[in-house]
Amino acid sequence: MALAEVVEHLRKIVGRDAVLDRPEDLMLYEYDGGIRKSTPGAVVFPRTTEQVSQIMRLASSAKIPVVGRGAGTGLSGGAISQAGGIVIAFSRMNRILQVDAENQCAVVQPGVVNLQLSEHVSHLGLFYAPDPSSQKACTIGGNVAENSGGPHTLIYGVTVNHVTGMEVVLPSGEVVHFGGKAAESGGYDMTGFFVGSEGTLGITTAITVKLLRKPEKVATLLGIFETIDDAAQTVSAITAEGITPAALEMLDGWTLRTIEAYCHAGYPLDAAAVLLIELEGLREVVEEQAEAVQAVCLQQKAREVRRAKSEEERALLWKGRKTAFGALGRVSPSYYTQDGVVPRSKIPATLRHIGEVAKKYDLIIGNIFHAGDGNLHPLILFDMRFPDQLERVLAASKDILEYCIAVGGSITGEHGVGSEKRDLMPALFTEQDLDVMVSLRNAFNGNSVLNPEKMFPTPRMCREITGPARNPVLAQEGM
Amino acid sequence: MTTSPAIGRFTAELRAICGPEHVVDDPVELQRHQVLGAAPRTSVTPGSADEIVAILRFANEHRLNIVPAGGFTQQQTGNPPAQIDVLLSTARLTEVEHYDPGDLTVGVGAGYTVAHLSAMVGKDGLFFAADPPLPQQATIGGLLATGMIGPHRQGYGGLRDYCIGVRFVTGDGRKGKGGGRVVKNVAGYDMMKLLIGSQGTLGVITSASFKLFPAPRQTRTYVSEFASSVEAVEFRDHLLRSPLDPLCLELVSPQAGEFLPGFGPDGPWLLLLRAAGSDAVLSRYRAELGAAVSREVDGQSEQDVGRAMADFSHLVDERHPRSLLVSLSLPLRDVQGTLNHLATVAESNGFTFACIGRVGVGQLLAALWPRTDADLPPVNFVNTVSGLRSKLPQDASLAVLRCPLEAHKQISAWGPTPTDEKSMRAVKMALDPRDILNRGRFLV
Repeated sequence: MALAEVVEHLRKIVGRDAVLDRPEDLMLYEYDGGIRKSTPGAVVFPRTTEQVSQIMRLASSAKIPVVGRGAGTGLSGGAISQAGGIVIAFSRMNRILQVDAENQCAVVQPGVVNLQLSEHVSHLGLFYAPDPSSQKACTIGGNVAENSGGPHTLIYGVTVNHVTGMEVVLPSGEVVHFGGKAAESGGYDMTGFFVGSEGTLGITTAITVKLLRKPEKVATLLGIFETIDDAAQTVSAITAEGITPAALEMLDGWTLRTIEAYCHAGYPLDAAAVLLIELEGLREVVEEQAEAVQAVCLQQKAREVRRAKSEEERALLWKGRKTAFGALGRVSPSYYTQDGVVPRSKIPATLRHIGEVAKKYDLIIGNIFHAGDGNLHPLILFDMRFPDQLERVLAASKDILEYCIAVGGSITGEHGVGSEKRDLMPALFTEQDLDVMVSLRNAFNGNSVLNPEKMFPTPRMCREITGPARNPVLAQEGM
Repeated sequence: MTTSPAIGRFTAELRAICGPEHVVDDPVELQRHQVLGAAPRTSVTPGSADEIVAILRFANEHRLNIVPAGGFTQQQTGNPPAQIDVLLSTARLTEVEHYDPGDLTVGVGAGYTVAHLSAMVGKDGLFFAADPPLPQQATIGGLLATGMIGPHRQGYGGLRDYCIGVRFVTGDGRKGKGGGRVVKNVAGYDMMKLLIGSQGTLGVITSASFKLFPAPRQTRTYVSEFASSVEAVEFRDHLLRSPLDPLCLELVSPQAGEFLPGFGPDGPWLLLLRAAGSDAVLSRYRAELGAAVSREVDGQSEQDVGRAMADFSHLVDERHPRSLLVSLSLPLRDVQGTLNHLATVAESNGFTFACIGRVGVGQLLAALWPRTDADLPPVNFVNTVSGLRSKLPQDASLAVLRCPLEAHKQISAWGPTPTDEKSMRAVKMALDPRDILNRGRFLV
């Protein structure tokens, strides 16, 4: 089926005003928060699950690739279409369908903006815990696809720890349900399996999420350090003290100064690094932990430990952290964010390695990251107009991620593999490990209609595209 | 019915794979490893994932029925198997793959026992949060495969929240892996989620990694008494709305009191709340709980009560061997209605019931045994299960964990689930297409 014909069909499904196919409109959907681009053939804005189902049926029969898209804030290319494919944009499926305070949960459509849910239930004393830095824009559907994290996932866990049920449209167009409002459901944990599958198994059209009770007390501390090493050592020392902060973020000196110039959060301009530490919970617990954390920081040679005295001061400290990416836009035309993870005890050595990588490739690399769980976000600055810079950036990223793997870590903590890191998957998984995953993918998405060329490395995709189940036992039997 | 080769042929093959000393075919010894009335035809204890690959490939060729086994603490759960060709024990997979106290992570072989793991990390002031029945026997592989939920589910989350990596061999004999060794990791599909609670039907777990927690330095359990379940559940709601953050929040029905040391049968409904913290923190808990608290338990007594709550299913097995034991997974709001219904169904079928569970997360265990000394016929057990399932709230599930065998054969151990069955079958077909693993014992 020619694209024009597909677009006509799409218009019949969702209405004329809910399909984009002019080049100037499509341009807005060719990128995400990462660095790669690809222009879709059409963007469609369904309002109902039934429409999503019809779109999937159409795409499957026309063999046109489909990708779901929330706000496009992802950093791994997860929401980028194949050239000429269909983007299902969820901005019109953005209703909070139900708030069930008694069951401490809510049912939402995928296009609901992350922060809006917490704001919507705030008057009930509840909140939705996963808080990506992009939470003012990113959607819960996108969070589910990528299994997104955020600063407070140190204590609360990532998205999968907060999803108990979902409605899914499979590539066949069939609408199925997994789990529900109970904490656990009988049978395989299909919900847990689909969260973080990066849109390669199905399209989520409704999500049941847990809501948590807001903490009674929050304390926010800023530990200021003369060396990066001291700050990094402090991370392990806090854990060794038996304390799990709600959030434990680290910003290096260069990043601090860049942010401070942009939003005046009150960060010290001459520090080598700061730790932004948040403690949440029962008043008595928080007070004790705040004292203990302060003592640990000072033992680890912190120059000073500040504590936010008011909600305004707290908000300001976090504003610096959460607008870091905006601040970078002022000093560099482009930047590339990595998402490696290392065991906490390897943070000091990893930061030293990142410093060496910056020198080796002649790049500026800032560090702003979730130190408490070892999830690094090196920010590599460059200018897209100079292709040699991009090459150096990619080489430096690969170097950093390979180091993360070598010390027992991972290539992504919360942003997903997408198209950007899929060629690194063989460094983390064996051929057979990936083969097992691909057989599961093919059980649902055997014709590669949904988000092709994501998560799994390139050569594998050529093979897998040739057909559905590639099961050794069945293959032997000619099935 | 089965195309299994003669027993001699496949024990010879198993001996060649694992060494003769790791294969048992003595019928007398195998009788001791009965699973719901079926004795295995042979048992094998492989020493590595590669040996498991070889065993499962062989099993695929001959469509043998393999039952993976750990410490045999939950093996009597599930639908009775028609035949067990090979009982595959993970007892030799006991390697510590990594243990990094500073990183609060650990990875061990599937045959490692829960008690060993807890003791190893306990020496460093760390805590492994899973608390299944019989930890001295229960293995890590079995714990994950059965998805056992203990009292600490309240404060630390479930296995799906702190299992960070898994290695396994699929039913069709491929080695697979999910996650890794770090606490935050979204690379690749989350294979942990599929394997946890899969009842050994997708793969044989060979090792797993976990997030650990700092061990609490001081704890206390506060016991509150209530005249009815309504009052107990109302108090639960009050606690869930409060800022308290307990490690455990257990509901104990009057008849369940007999299983807790220092308590007895026919008492009031109880809520047991376990809290951790300094003196100041514990005082705050005491103050918030108010007049409802009738007892405080700490030290060894607290350990004993905690163990008894975790061991509930096992204690029921011991004292009332002909009882029906079910686990219920409920939305929070449906706990009260389900308790009422449980009482009605038990009464009308001649049973006494005892209920205990993680009431703050909607997870309950209920044991029903004949009210009088006379045994009840299978039909009463069957009717009880169907009676309970007939009014199961939306999104809830009920699994039968124990049941006298005559009745067990007439019921489905798992019953309906809110999760699409066809999708579950697609997963099963992708990993175990010949239905080699625990055939007929699970949902799909």
